Amino acid sequence: MSNNINYWKGEDELSKSKSFVSAQKNEFHDDLPLDEIFNEESIELKANRRDFLKYFGFSVTAVALAACYKTKIRNAIPYLVEPEASVSGVANYFRSTCGACSSSCGIEVKVREGRPIKVDGSVDSPISQGGTCSVGQASILSLYDNERLANPLVNGSEQKEWALIDATVLTQLNALKSSNSKIVLLSGSIHSPSTLKSIEKFTSAFPSLEHVSYDAISYSGILDANETDFGQRVIPTYKFGEAKVIVSFAADFLGTWISPVEYSKGYTQHRQPGVKGGMSKHIQFESSLSMTGANADHRFPMRVSQEALYVASLYNYIAIANGTKQIPIPSQGELAGNAIKKTAEVLLKSQGKSIVISGSNETEIQQIINGINMLLGNYATAIDLANHSNQFKGSDKKTAEVLKGLNNGAIGGIIFYGVNPVYNHNGKEWAAGIKKAKLSISFSSSQDETAALCNFVCPDNHYLESWNDAEPRKGVYHFTQPTISNVFNTRQAQISMLTWSNALVVPEKDPFASKAILSQKFHASAFYNFMRDNWAKVLISNESFNAALEKGVLLEEPLVGIPAYEGKVDGFASYVLANSKVSGIEMILYQPVGVRDGAHGNNPWLHENPDPVSKVSWDNYIALPKSLAVALEISEGDTVNVTLGKLVYAGVPTIIQPGQANNTISMALGYGRTHAGKVGGSIDKGYNSIGVNGFAFVNNTGNRNFVIKNVEITKSDDTYNLAQTQTHHTIEGRDIIRESSFEAWKKSPNAGNDKAKTHVYTIWEKPEYRKDGAPNHLWAMAIDLNSCTGCGSCVVSCSIENNVPIVGREQVLLRREMHWIRIDRYYAFRSKEGNLTREDEIANQDKKGNHDHWQDVSVLYQPMMCQHCSNAPCETVCPVLATTHSSEGLNQMTYNRCIGTKYCGNNCPYKVRRFNWFRYNDNDAFDFNFNNPLGKMVINPDVTVRTRGVMEKCSFCVQRIQEGKLSAKRQGKSPNQVAVQTACQRACPSNAIVFGDLHNPESEVSKLYKNERGFTVLEELNIQSSVMYMTKIRNNDTI
Amino acid sequence: MLSAFMALTSSAFTQDLPDADNGKKLFEANCLGCHAIDKKEIGPALRGIHLRRTPEWLVQWIRNNEKFRKVTKDPDAIALYNEYNGAAMNVFENLTPVNVQEIVEYIKTAPEAPKTAVVIDAGDGTKKEDNTNLYILLTLVAILSIVLLILARVKNTLRRIAAEKNPEEYAEWLAPKKGFFEKSLPGKWGKLNPTVLTLFAIVIVSVPALYYGFEFSITEVAVQKGYAPKQPIAFSHQLHAGQLKMNCQYCHSSVEKSKQASIPALNTCMNCHKGVQLTEKYNGEISPEIKKIYTALDYNPEGKEGEQYGKNPRPVRWIRIHNLPDHAYFNHSQHVKVGKQSCQTCHGAIEKMEVVQQVNTLQMGWCIDCHRVSQVDVANNNYYKALHDKAKADIAKNNQSSKYFSADGTVKLTAAMNGGLECSKCHY
Repeated sequence: MSNNINYWKGEDELSKSKSFVSAQKNEFHDDLPLDEIFNEESIELKANRRDFLKYFGFSVTAVALAACYKTKIRNAIPYLVEPEASVSGVANYFRSTCGACSSSCGIEVKVREGRPIKVDGSVDSPISQGGTCSVGQASILSLYDNERLANPLVNGSEQKEWALIDATVLTQLNALKSSNSKIVLLSGSIHSPSTLKSIEKFTSAFPSLEHVSYDAISYSGILDANETDFGQRVIPTYKFGEAKVIVSFAADFLGTWISPVEYSKGYTQHRQPGVKGGMSKHIQFESSLSMTGANADHRFPMRVSQEALYVASLYNYIAIANGTKQIPIPSQGELAGNAIKKTAEVLLKSQGKSIVISGSNETEIQQIINGINMLLGNYATAIDLANHSNQFKGSDKKTAEVLKGLNNGAIGGIIFYGVNPVYNHNGKEWAAGIKKAKLSISFSSSQDETAALCNFVCPDNHYLESWNDAEPRKGVYHFTQPTISNVFNTRQAQISMLTWSNALVVPEKDPFASKAILSQKFHASAFYNFMRDNWAKVLISNESFNAALEKGVLLEEPLVGIPAYEGKVDGFASYVLANSKVSGIEMILYQPVGVRDGAHGNNPWLHENPDPVSKVSWDNYIALPKSLAVALEISEGDTVNVTLGKLVYAGVPTIIQPGQANNTISMALGYGRTHAGKVGGSIDKGYNSIGVNGFAFVNNTGNRNFVIKNVEITKSDDTYNLAQTQTHHTIEGRDIIRESSFEAWKKSPNAGNDKAKTHVYTIWEKPEYRKDGAPNHLWAMAIDLNSCTGCGSCVVSCSIENNVPIVGREQVLLRREMHWIRIDRYYAFRSKEGNLTREDEIANQDKKGNHDHWQDVSVLYQPMMCQHCSNAPCETVCPVLATTHSSEGLNQMTYNRCIGTKYCGNNCPYKVRRFNWFRYNDNDAFDFNFNNPLGKMVINPDVTVRTRGVMEKCSFCVQRIQEGKLSAKRQGKSPNQVAVQTACQRACPSNAIVFGDLHNPESEVSKLYKNERGFTVLEELNIQSSVMYMTKIRNNDTI
Repeated sequence: MLSAFMALTSSAFTQDLPDADNGKKLFEANCLGCHAIDKKEIGPALRGIHLRRTPEWLVQWIRNNEKFRKVTKDPDAIALYNEYNGAAMNVFENLTPVNVQEIVEYIKTAPEAPKTAVVIDAGDGTKKEDNTNLYILLTLVAILSIVLLILARVKNTLRRIAAEKNPEEYAEWLAPKKGFFEKSLPGKWGKLNPTVLTLFAIVIVSVPALYYGFEFSITEVAVQKGYAPKQPIAFSHQLHAGQLKMNCQYCHSSVEKSKQASIPALNTCMNCHKGVQLTEKYNGEISPEIKKIYTALDYNPEGKEGEQYGKNPRPVRWIRIHNLPDHAYFNHSQHVKVGKQSCQTCHGAIEKMEVVQQVNTLQMGWCIDCHRVSQVDVANNNYYKALHDKAKADIAKNNQSSKYFSADGTVKLTAAMNGGLECSKCHY
C-alpha cells in the first residue's frame, strides 16, 4: 500500500524546483565561505610571502603563549547552612502548576542547586496526565528572561521601594473610592480559589472596583451558549478518551484549543488500531490546515464563514433520525460532497460516545453544537458539564464595555492583571482610554504594550517563583509552589492587591518558625499565609497541606448528573441563512501552536520550533490555497498586501499551503509584538518585530470573530524568504513512512508493512552486545506514528534537556538549525475515491487549471532523530573516531575528539547530524539565552555546551541513561528495574515515544518491537537502526 | 527434635556474641564524629551506656531517633533531645540491631583514654622542594655564557683589526679560516658538505627537544598535579581525617549519593566547633582558624546557648583543587558507592595532608589506566547479576575464550570490560 503513495514535504519538492534540486544534492547549505574571505581586500593573502610568514609566526606564537596560560583560580562556595533535602549535584523535583496559559496543567519542576531547569507534566494531574505542550516546556525560559522588569515602575522610571509605590497607589485608589469613581480590574481567566479570594478582598476594600475577565483568544461563544442552554457560563470538560467519533468544526483541539495537553492525552487513548473497543474516528471540517486537521481521518475543506450552514445541516440530519424538530432551512443536499450527511450517519452509530465541537466564537453556532451533542446523548459520557472546565471565563461583551467606559470617562481607574489588550484587542482605543484614566496599573512582569502606557507597573512574579493554587476543572485543585526565590524585585500580584486592601494574613504561628536559619526566619511569603488560611477548613493540619503540595493535586469526588437543557435551536434559521451566503476572500486568524496568543513572544525556543504544519519558524505569513496563488501569480518568496477597510498590511510573506480551502487565507496571531523584548521585537529598544499583528483585523464588537470576511489581497513587489525547515534534511522519497487503513489492519495486522524483507548481504557480524542474553542494556526506541500529533513539545523539551542552541532566522534559512529531533511532515494527495493520486495525474490537473485537489491532502508526521544504527554509516567515515558505538547500542558522539570534517553528516542517511557552524554561546551574533548570565541559568549542568566546529546529534539522552543506571547500581536493583525516560518521551502529550531496554523482555519497548506494525526506516541499507516506527493506520475506509 | 533445638540455640548463641572488633570499626566510622567514650563532645560521653539504657532503647534511638521521638514518643528520648537543645542526632538506619550491640560491646571494652589532654598538633605541613637556588644558578650560568661569547667576539674583532693594520706581523691570523665542522670534526668527517652537516646537527638536537616538548605539553600543560593552593581557612585533613580519624563522609556527606562529594556547609563544622575552640593552645583565645568559621557564619561565641547565627554571613570562597574539564563527567557515587574505591585512590593520602594537593594528573589516560585494572564487584550487587551469572556459567563450561574470568577460575571483570572505556560513559 505504501508503495503507491507519493509523499512530499513541500511545494518545491513536488514541483522539483531548481533551487530545491540543487539544494538537495548537498548535505550542507553551502561550502565554507573561503572565497569571500580571501577576496576581501583587507586580508589579501594571495600575493605576499612575507605576510604569510608574519601571520604564520604570529599565530604560532599566539598559540604557544596561550598554552602557557596560568590556570584560572576556580572557587567553590558551599552553603553556610545546607537546606534540608538538598544535595548538591542531585536534582530535586517539585510538583507545581504551569502558568504559561490558563489551562493550568499540573507539572513537575526539576531543580538543581536551587534553580529550576526543566518543567514536565505531573502524572497525578488529570489535566496534564504527565504531558506538556511546547509552550509549557519553554515557559521556564521566561523565568530567566532579561526583559522582565527588575523593579516596579512609576510613570516609566524605576522605583525600588515597594512601600513607596504602595503608599502612592493607595492614595490614588482611596481618592477614586471617595469620589465613587469606577475602577476595573481586567484580568485573564482566573480559576485559582485563593487568587479569587484575594480579588474578593480587593473588591470589598474598594467597592467601586469591578473584576472583569478577558481572554485574548476568546471562548465567549461557548460560554454564552452554555449560559443560555444550561444556565451555566462554563466550558464543559471534553473527555476525548471516551469518544469513538470526534467531529470538529475548525477547532484545533490538539494544538491550541482550550486545553490541548488534556485533549491530546484523551485523544490518543483510542488512536491505536489494537486498542480495546477499536480505533476512534476523527472528522475535521476546516479552512486552514491545522495540526488537528492534519491528524484527522477525514478532513473536509470548508469556508468557515459557512460554518453555520454546515453545523445546522448536521443538526438536521441527526434531528431527522431522532425524530425531533429541525432547523427550518432548505435542504443542503450535496454540501461538501455529502460529507455532512455521512458524518451524521457515523455519529448516529456512536450515540453517546462522540464529541462534536466547533472552534467558532459565535454563540448561535455553539448553541447548535450543544443541540447536536444533546441529541446524540453525549452529555452523559464524553462531555461533562457537572465537572466543567474553569480554564476560560472571559467575556467579550464586558471587555468591550470596559473599553467604552474608559473612553467615555465612566471608569476612573484600570488595573491590568495578566492581560495585554493594547496588543491583542483594539490597541488604539485602549491606548487612548488608558491615558484618560486617572489611575492605571499593570501587573505585567515585562514592559509590554499595555504596561508601557500605565502609570504604575507592579511586576508580578513568574509562576515558578509564586505560591498559588488553581481549579482548572471543578473539583480538581492544583497547587503552585515556588522553586526559586525571586530573581528580580518583583511581587506577586495577589500580594499587591492584598496589601492595598489591607488584608494580608499574619498567621498566629509562623509555620516556618522552627526552621530558622541564620537568625533570619524563613518568612513565608505573604501569599502563602493567605492561601494556607484559605485552605484551613479543607486541609486542616500542616501535614495534610504539605502532602497536597507534594502531590501537587487535590481531587474532590466528581459530581454526577447533567444540567437541564433549555436550549432551542429552531429559531436560528434566519441566522444560518444570513451566514450561508459567501463572497470574496475570507481570512482565518488562528493561534499558532508555538507562540499561541503572543504572550510568550519573547521566548526564542518557541520561535525556533517550526510550525507543525507549515514548518516555518521565526515568522508569520499568509497561507494561500494553490488556486488563489495561481490566480495572483504568487510563487515561493513572493509577498502580498492585505487590506481590510482602512487597514493595510503591505508585503506580508506567503506560503502556498496545501489543504487550505479555496477562497480562504490564514494568518497566525501572536506575532508583531512591539514591546516583547530583544527576541520578539521592541520599538523602544530598537529590535524589529517578528511578523505582523493579526489581532488588528479582529472585530471587537460583540463576540470577537477571528474569521475576517471580504479581505482584499494583492501581490506585492517585495520578496521575502521564510525560514522554513520543511524540505531541509529531506530523504528523497525513499520508503521511509508506511501507512494503511483500519479495515486493512483488521484483516492483517501488518497491513502497509508487508513489504518483503530485502535480502541483505553483510560483511558485519552481529555484535556480541546485540545478541539475546547479552548481559547489558540495549537501548531502543519505538515511535507510534498513530499517536504522534506533530505538536513539537518533544523538540522544545529536547532543546532544554540537551542545551541545544538557538540559531535564529538567518541560520535556519541556511539550513543550520540545531534541533536534535525534528518532526518530518509529509503531505500526500487524496482523491475522492480514497485512492491516492499519482504524480503525473496531479500535474495534468494542475495544467488544466483545476487546483481542487490541493485542498484535500493527507498529512503524516514522523519524528526523526539519530537512529543509533548498529551498523552506523557515520561511524565508519569518521577519521578521528569521534563517533563510535557503545556496548549498549548507543551511537556515541564525543565532542572533544571531533575535528569537524562533517563526513559523518554527509554519510548519515537520516540527516540528523548537526554541525556547530559557530560558537553559539557568549556570542553577540546569537543574542539569545546562551549570551547572558541569567539566561544561562537554564543550562542543564549534566550536558556539555558544545563549541564551534563540532558535530552533535541525539544521544538518546545518555545523561539520563547514566543517571538511571547509576541509581539502580547504588540501590542494588536489577538492570530491568532501570527506569529511563528520554526528554522527548517525557514531554510527549500523546504517548507516541517509548524508550527502553530491549534486553529486558518486560519493557514496553520490547513488547512494541514485536508489534506487526513495526518497521525501521531504510532497513534495506542494513544499518540496523534502533528506532522502530509503527505503521500509521488511518480509520478512513468508510464515510 | 532435640537436635533441631540444639542447632537453633547454638546458632542463636553464636549470633548473640557481639563482635567488639567490628564494633570498634563501626564506632570509628559512624560515632566518632560526635561522641567520645570518656568525654562529652557534641553528644554525651558513652562510657557505661549499657548501664544507663536498655539494649532495645539503644537500638531504636540509634537507628532512627527522630522516629523514636516523634512516632514512638519515648519520654527518655524526648528528654535527651531537649537536654541537648534540640540538636538531633543523625539517623543510622544502615546499622542493624546486631551492629548496635557490637558498638555497645566495643564501648564496654574500650580502654581508658590517657589522662593527658589531647593536644592537637597542627603539624608543619608537607615540605615542598625549594628549587629557587637552582634557578638562580642556572640564570647566572646563562648570563656568564653570553658574556663569554661576547668577549670572544670582541677578541676576534680586535685581532682582525690588528691584522689588517699589520698584515706582515699577523699573517697567520688572516689566512683562510677552517670552517666550524672542519675544525671540530676529525679527519674526513670534517670535509663533508657543511649544509648537510648543519641539517644533521639540527635533526640531532631537535628530535629529542620535540619529543620532550611534546611529552611536556601533554603531561604538564594545564595539568595541575601538585597544585596545593593556600585555602582561606587552613583546614587540616591531616588533623581531622588523620589524627582524629573522622570518617570522610562526616563532612563529604554526599559522596555516596551525588556526583559531587561536596564541600560541607559551615554548620557541619559548627557541630564540633561550637565546643572545640582550642583556647588552651592559644592562651585563652579562640583559635584564629576557628574564628574564621564564626566570622563566616556571623556567630557570636559569647552569645547565649542556642543562639542562632547573625545577619551578616560571609560565605567561604574555597579554592577548587581538582578541576575536570567541562566535557568530562565524573560521578563520585559511581566510584565510591558502586565501585567501592577509597578516597585515597584518586586523592592520595589525604589523611596526611596538612594542605590538600592534587596528587594525580586527572588526565584521561590516568582514568583509563585505572578502568583497565579495577575490578567490578559483580558478586555483591544485584545490578551485575546477569554478568556474574554469565561469568560463572563460562567458568563452569571452562570456556577458555570467555573474557569474564581469569585463568585461575575466579571471576575477574574490570570496568573496561563492562564498557568502562566507551566515550559516552564520561563525555556527553
